[in-house]
Amino acid sequence: MIKATNLELNFSGKQIFKDLSFFIKKGENVCISGPSGKGKSTILKMLMAYVIPNEGSIKVNQLLVNPENIKTIRNKIIWIPQNINLPVNNGLELMELLNLTNQRNRVEELLHELGLESSFLNQDFAQISGGQKQRVIIAICLSIEKDIILMDEPTSSLDEDAINKLISCVSKLKNKTIVSASHHLGWMESTDKIIEL
Amino acid sequence: MNSTADISYWELASGLLLFIIPISLFYIYKIWIIKDVLIGLVRMLIQLSMVALYLEWIFELNNAWLNSLWVLVMIFVGVFTTIRRVSLNWRMFVLPLLVASITSVLIVDLFFLGWVLKLDYFFDARYFIPITGMVLGNALNHNIVGLSTYFKGLSEKSELYIFLLSNTGNKKLALNPFITDAIKQALNPMIAFMSVIGLISLPGMMTGQILGGSPPSTAIKYQIMIMIAIFVGCTINLFLSILFSNRFIFDAYSNLKANILKKK
Repeated sequence: MIKATNLELNFSGKQIFKDLSFFIKKGENVCISGPSGKGKSTILKMLMAYVIPNEGSIKVNQLLVNPENIKTIRNKIIWIPQNINLPVNNGLELMELLNLTNQRNRVEELLHELGLESSFLNQDFAQISGGQKQRVIIAICLSIEKDIILMDEPTSSLDEDAINKLISCVSKLKNKTIVSASHHLGWMESTDKIIEL
Repeated sequence: MNSTADISYWELASGLLLFIIPISLFYIYKIWIIKDVLIGLVRMLIQLSMVALYLEWIFELNNAWLNSLWVLVMIFVGVFTTIRRVSLNWRMFVLPLLVASITSVLIVDLFFLGWVLKLDYFFDARYFIPITGMVLGNALNHNIVGLSTYFKGLSEKSELYIFLLSNTGNKKLALNPFITDAIKQALNPMIAFMSVIGLISLPGMMTGQILGGSPPSTAIKYQIMIMIAIFVGCTINLFLSILFSNRFIFDAYSNLKANILKKK
């Protein structure tokens, strides 16, 4: 499903990693873990070709990550970043921005699983907590119908109760391949496999 | 109507005495922009004197090729000024900005000179040069603000671009917030200006025409048309500058190239 072979990345003359290889099966839930600065988030961005490795190759669904295939590959991937500044005031506006207005029911369902009422979709991001905003964004992104979900530090703004709800919600997603970057112990334990950097 | 009262060179020179007031204020309050102001003033005097001499000659000849060449020079100067002020990479942006400027000038001039004024001689220097100049002069300001907002937005908010491109799978949707921001920042001052025109400001063209002996009704009709031409010209120029530039600023992965802005 996702196959990385001998990846090497150098940034500003410094080697971030070398000879990194891993394989992620379809439907697997995998966590990339390691100390800050080791390139966890960078690997997620490499899977979508927003960062290009100096050496090595990546295949997603048998397709080599290259300019010819990148559109097809990105069309299979959901990207959930941490703490992003959005040019919208609330969840409904975000759905409009992502062209997801027809997914309202699914988003509300996911919001409930994450412990929030549907009304949070209307609430101004400036008036709710960072954790609540993050859950609204996660619910909206998870409603996108794609096979692979990449999550960067999904637990970063959440309390333990919200993290447990997110773990439970993610475990219910069927036939989705999930790759996350995190060093949260509970989150790591909930995944099928850990890639340690 | 009487013709415009001329200003003698002595009177013009004495007008410069007014500059003593702002220069004194800058000096008293230690606002050290005096050198910049004086350089700007001297440049304005030299440039306008040269243009006056040149325009007198160009108006006399009134040759279509020469007039078009003059307009092309104005377009080039506008494009190079924009690139320098926004700190863009010359090689990447000269072509898209030139094509955008030429296209917007063509559309506005064809409409204004050909359709509205129905000039027998389309390239008549009396109309072709000042009207194109007004559109280009305004487009310069708006392009600097708009393109600066757009490219700095894309450079500084790359996370947002990645988020939108990945989750929508559509580059047009991913770029939309950046384009919206650029257009709003660039055009907001003009929208505000249009909404108070005649109330708290009497624009230069209208004032000039009235001073030149035209009846106010004619001056106002010209002013309305020129405001429309400026707004439409600036909007087309900025939109096309962004859309044409988009063909050059992304790599094969649709990632923003690292060298679009020059390092300061």
